[in-house]
Amino acid sequence: MTTTEISAPIIAVDGVSKRFNAGTDKEVTALENIDLAIRPGEFISLLGPSGCGKSTLLRCLADLAEPTGGTVTLNGKTPRAARQDRDYGMVFQQAGLFDWRSVRRNVELPLQVAGVDRATRREKAEEMLELVRLSEFARHYPWQLSGGMQQRVAIARALSADPSILFMDEPLGALDEMNRERLQGELLRIWSDTQTTVVFVTHSISEAVFLSSRIVVMSARPGRIAASIDVDLPYPRTAKTRTLPEFFDKVTEVRQALYGAPSDQAV
Amino acid sequence: MTATTTEPRPAGKHASEQAAETSPNRPRRQRPAIGPKLVNSLGAAVVIALLGALWEGYKALGQAWDDKIPGLGWKFPVATDDMSMPHLSAIFHALTEPASRADSTTLFSYLITETSVTLREAAYGLVAGSLLGLVLATVFLYSGPLRKGLMPWLVASQTVPLVAIAPMIVIWGGKSGAPPWVAVTGIAAYLAFFPVTINTLRGLRSPSRVHLEFARSIATNRRQQLFLLRIPSALPFVFAGLRLAATASVVGAIVGELSAGTGRGIGRAILTFAYYYSNGPEKLYAAVLVAAVAGIVFVELLGLLERLALRHRHTA
Repeated sequence: MTTTEISAPIIAVDGVSKRFNAGTDKEVTALENIDLAIRPGEFISLLGPSGCGKSTLLRCLADLAEPTGGTVTLNGKTPRAARQDRDYGMVFQQAGLFDWRSVRRNVELPLQVAGVDRATRREKAEEMLELVRLSEFARHYPWQLSGGMQQRVAIARALSADPSILFMDEPLGALDEMNRERLQGELLRIWSDTQTTVVFVTHSISEAVFLSSRIVVMSARPGRIAASIDVDLPYPRTAKTRTLPEFFDKVTEVRQALYGAPSDQAV
Repeated sequence: MTATTTEPRPAGKHASEQAAETSPNRPRRQRPAIGPKLVNSLGAAVVIALLGALWEGYKALGQAWDDKIPGLGWKFPVATDDMSMPHLSAIFHALTEPASRADSTTLFSYLITETSVTLREAAYGLVAGSLLGLVLATVFLYSGPLRKGLMPWLVASQTVPLVAIAPMIVIWGGKSGAPPWVAVTGIAAYLAFFPVTINTLRGLRSPSRVHLEFARSIATNRRQQLFLLRIPSALPFVFAGLRLAATASVVGAIVGELSAGTGRGIGRAILTFAYYYSNGPEKLYAAVLVAAVAGIVFVELLGLLERLALRHRHTA
């Protein structure tokens, strides 16, 4: 995936701002004048420290929050229309599965809401569970699964209605390092199998470098885009990728974009 | 009960994800050799035996010491003569005796018949009151003004003494020409709807933010949000309310019978035995005992329904 490739953006963000408590003395500018164009098939990470507005930006894209200025376009539609058309699927930091439904029926949920008939949605859910390699757990209940498995179910659920976009808000943030790295690998495989465009919020530099085709580095107070860094490490990326000098060079480059040039001072 | 029957939380159970991943066919529930259910039943039996021993022991001491603590001369709080505290054996024996001189049926079968009348009234009242409670909770969920406007009146309705309300309902029922049991059912419903309303409303508002945002992300409409998310989330709360409502509806039915001229029901029987207490105190105790056991059975039936409805949840 190269940056010179010319295709219409699937997600366009133009001059988006978001202020909380506007007009009061508690006014906070979470996002200021964000411009961003995301092309189909990209894996974009929004990376930055806590409070830089990366989650707020994602929520504006998903129509879970409304920008106070600027416009967002998904597939040429407003975020609201895109949400209504189920153009995107969403995965949160907590899996947020429904306790009272089996794993399979959780994955079916977006299809059920869309009015898909029982047989079709069951077939589709089983296909999705195969994608995240949890077929044998279809009849289990969420509380019988570990955190990492629950998050894989959440991914299957987000993708079951075949959205063209996948939004992920720190989806691996609650997992331990080993599970995290394994799920990163899984996620890249799922991304390449489904050809979706992924927007992934994280505060882990190595995670962003390993996963992304491009990293959007954000700075805090007010939330702005500090840099957009292409990650040209070839896919498929594997455990070996994490050991390459190019990987560490990229991590260093991203770290500099976040903090400035390295010095002897403690960070 | 819950503390001994639930499994450890998933977090503790899956300290190692690896182990969980490699054993997909592990059984859903593992029970120890001696089930916690058996331990609970034994515990309950021991408690009942102890209560019986306490009753008889207290009575024996009082009889031996003439209801005074030796040396101190303090009087026992409750007298222990057979009029105040009949022997347990006398109470159980009374159950096998004829209910009255005119009737050859035993007291036990008479009480069971009357109790079944009361429980039927309570059950109808519980169903009617619960339906009203569910509807009110759903209306309140979507209408803030209605909730704020009506809630104080609902609270007030429950603080007014039942003995004031019951005759009114009986009179209204009588004027409209309905049979007396309808008024009794109405009183049971009147007590039952409130806990169901409060708990259901709480439950309908219980979905977490991530659940609500996920529901929004898949474009659920209001009806889908209610039926696919809010009502399932509310179920444990609804059952907590139903348990309270079940006990309240039995109380309502019994008090209702006292006000209504039905001539039937365990409430009526208790009133009669209380009136003729000096003729046979053990009959009143027997009636109260049967009413109490029936109430427990009534609420436990609901518990069974609850366990069935919530069987897949890890708290169930």
